[in-house]
Amino acid sequence: MQNDPLTFGQLLERHERELFAYALRISGQRADAEDLYQDTFLAAFRAWPPPRRGNERAWLYKIATNRAIDRERRARRVVASVDDLALAATELDDVTLADLAGAIETLPAGQRAAFILRKVQGLAYVEIAVALECTEEAARARVSEALKKVKAAVA
Amino acid sequence: MDTALGEARERLLAKAKKEGLTTIGYDVLGSPLGPLWVAIGPKGVTTIHYGSEPSETELRRLVRVYGPGVVPDPKRSSALARELDQYFNGKRHEFDIDVDLSGLTPFQTKVLVATAKIPFGSVSTYGTVAKRAGNAKASRAAGGALNHNPIPIVVPCHRVVGSNGALVGYAGGLDTKRRLLAIEGADVSRRH
Repeated sequence: MQNDPLTFGQLLERHERELFAYALRISGQRADAEDLYQDTFLAAFRAWPPPRRGNERAWLYKIATNRAIDRERRARRVVASVDDLALAATELDDVTLADLAGAIETLPAGQRAAFILRKVQGLAYVEIAVALECTEEAARARVSEALKKVKAAVA
Repeated sequence: MDTALGEARERLLAKAKKEGLTTIGYDVLGSPLGPLWVAIGPKGVTTIHYGSEPSETELRRLVRVYGPGVVPDPKRSSALARELDQYFNGKRHEFDIDVDLSGLTPFQTKVLVATAKIPFGSVSTYGTVAKRAGNAKASRAAGGALNHNPIPIVVPCHRVVGSNGALVGYAGGLDTKRRLLAIEGADVSRRH
């Protein structure tokens, strides 16, 4: 178990790689992903200290997810990139990545975030709950609902 | 780190700096003594730590004095890196770069200031340093202060030895102390 991060640098070095990957997956475009990564960490620095010690990872995902959803509401355009969804496809047989990307694209923002957090980023439900500001049960329900829709869409 | 993330990080940190969110820049430098974690603050070098990660104690001191805005920033340490390189190659006998001892106790500060005055290639004793720091009886405490020197090499605590000339101790290991004294051609075989 790592110690609590004391500095911005520690937070960055521990979590920036996966947050950047998440930003790429959820926004689908490099320029948007860079903005999202930057906004997320700047918001974390401004809001320092992290609200719950030991839970910084989920806190960062929460900031990133909220910002991604806000951006999408403004832009009405978010597509998870096809390549980045390769991992998510493993549960679904005989489905092309293009089908999958299309299906994920049609999900409401909250469900899409839940799906990517669970199936691509591999977060635990307790972390997804923090990231999406809901209970663990609600996080499970969102992922399951998203999975059902994706399966139906690609069936 | 891959290029896309590296570039994104650089832009992020530039923006954080512009907003006044960052205070200290750090980097890990390679050296003949292994990796050195170094940090530069608004007043100068705050830290040189043997190893690629700082100690928790050191980070706590930096955060206490300068807040949590301690971020990776290789450019900021380039002057220090240059001076250290010259020193290790025997081409520099004094460091020109400013040091920042903020956040230390008054006694520790005095001990380190006295230590900084020991010239290249000479050695002094814990007793002498304690005396110069204003308390001749505090040689043991001076040893403790030197053991927690946050800026070794530049503040040359390796030049302080026991009254019988024994090397006694060094946070970076006795071997490191021996090597630093060898770089300086210091004679530690005789009594001081």
